[in-house]
Amino acid sequence: MMKKLFFILYPFALLSLTIFSYFFIDSNLTYLKDFYSGFAYKHRYSATFFYLLILLIFFTLYILLLKLISKKKIDFKDLRYLIFITIALLLFSYPAMLSFDIFNYISTSKVLFFYYENPYIIMPIEFAGDPLLSFTHASNKIALYGPSWILISAIPYFTGFGNFIVTLFSFKLFVSMFYLGTVFLIWKISKNLVYVSFFAFNPLVIIETLLSGHNDIVMMFFSLFSFYLLMKKKIIIPAFIFFIFSIFIKYSVIFLFPIFIYIILKTIRKQPIDWKNIFYFSFLLMAGAFILSPIREEIYPWYAIWFLPFISIVFQKRTLVYISVALSFGLLLRYVPFMLFGTHFGVTPFLKISVTLTPVFFVLIYVFLRDKLWLKIFSR
Amino acid sequence: MAQKKFKMIRYFWIPLLTLSLFKIFTNVSFAQSNYVLPYPPPMPGSFLYKIRLLSEQIQQYWYFGNFGQFSYNLKQSDKYLVQAKTLFEYEQYLLGEEALKKSDMYFKNSPKYLGKAKEENKNIDRLQKILKEAASKHIEVLNEIKTHVPEEITWSPEKSQPVKIFLRNKLTEAIYIRQSCL
Repeated sequence: MMKKLFFILYPFALLSLTIFSYFFIDSNLTYLKDFYSGFAYKHRYSATFFYLLILLIFFTLYILLLKLISKKKIDFKDLRYLIFITIALLLFSYPAMLSFDIFNYISTSKVLFFYYENPYIIMPIEFAGDPLLSFTHASNKIALYGPSWILISAIPYFTGFGNFIVTLFSFKLFVSMFYLGTVFLIWKISKNLVYVSFFAFNPLVIIETLLSGHNDIVMMFFSLFSFYLLMKKKIIIPAFIFFIFSIFIKYSVIFLFPIFIYIILKTIRKQPIDWKNIFYFSFLLMAGAFILSPIREEIYPWYAIWFLPFISIVFQKRTLVYISVALSFGLLLRYVPFMLFGTHFGVTPFLKISVTLTPVFFVLIYVFLRDKLWLKIFSR
Repeated sequence: MAQKKFKMIRYFWIPLLTLSLFKIFTNVSFAQSNYVLPYPPPMPGSFLYKIRLLSEQIQQYWYFGNFGQFSYNLKQSDKYLVQAKTLFEYEQYLLGEEALKKSDMYFKNSPKYLGKAKEENKNIDRLQKILKEAASKHIEVLNEIKTHVPEEITWSPEKSQPVKIFLRNKLTEAIYIRQSCL
């Protein structure tokens, strides 16, 4: 019964999110002017209400799915189908609903592959009259990403054949493939459907990767792939190349470098490796990178993708799992203040911090009380 | 009472008046262009100069593309102009003249790359404006140098004939190169 309900509600939720994303089309995005309604900007309260409702539905379905899988009511085949429809339906969503980063990816690759200029020196804004400038938010900045990302972004850029809409969706498809790859690697490493689902259906992962098309998943795929090569195949050089490649996508995986060197040393010495601990420490280091990110700018919700693949593999650490889910929810709530007030100033920064930490705080209280109660019962 | 009041006013007005006059007279600026030249780079003879030359060679490839090459050449021209100015100030005329020659060469290259960018249908209005500002700043500096360098110098290398270098002519030539971009 619950399974049936899930299989009806989940595609419906995905479809709702896809349709809802089009309410956020920028008025300057002339390529999609036929879909422009201005709803999210004219009816801020309603848009925020619908966003919160969608979040609640997604998190409820997520927990329900994890329960169904742990009770073995959903098998491998079902999961494959669910992953497929998640990708397929969100592929057609409007990617700049919550973040404009996908436009930055396109404009950066255009600087290199269309104008043949170095994106680390020449900013997109230098190309006066380029139609991308009217809606790209970071056009006054040189390339923000590593050279590995800029190089591989040639694939979605050229498969767009110079058409903006095709390019936009080919970037989304490209990122989706890395999502699929990461999910596959988690499966290959853990061989556990719950662990895979914990990552694959986390609403934050889905929204930030399949809807917004953030490239953090590409970085995590390559670093996880390098770990996988060392774990299963024991091949050092390709693993090292892929790891370095992942560092030069977005730099933050450099935090994993000590662990990576440790694995290589252990592999060379043919000593046994405690992979559970490796993934646990990888989680801690990437969580550290996440916590330190405000030093550079601010904590963005999609930065959670840096540590979520690792916590999925060490799913036994239940407290951390609960905190990760709560943080995923809190991070997605960070969009609410801006959605509601339309400004990044005033009370917005304070609210962003508050909504991020509140769910985590509640989880910590729950964990504390649970442990205390458990101890009380146990001591009796 | 009135005297006390006058004293109070004096304490307020005199510093204010002094500050205002200071502000008025020190605000006089002789700069004609808002274009900002870089700090003097490492000079010939220092170890850092060799590193600088190597980095310039590498940067030549890093600044690919016509906009990139424009930026590279203009940046180089700025740097060598500042180098020439510093060396002339220290009466190192020969080295100064060499730096000026390099600055001229790089400056001549800059509009070439703008032309190529235009052929690629890139909008060059902004960069053309920058080039003009740079040219006028360069002319300002070159005119300033002209006032304190000798008309000509004679350089006597160890194993060859002495050579006369017409410094002011070289500076006039450099000004002509820049004027063509105005």
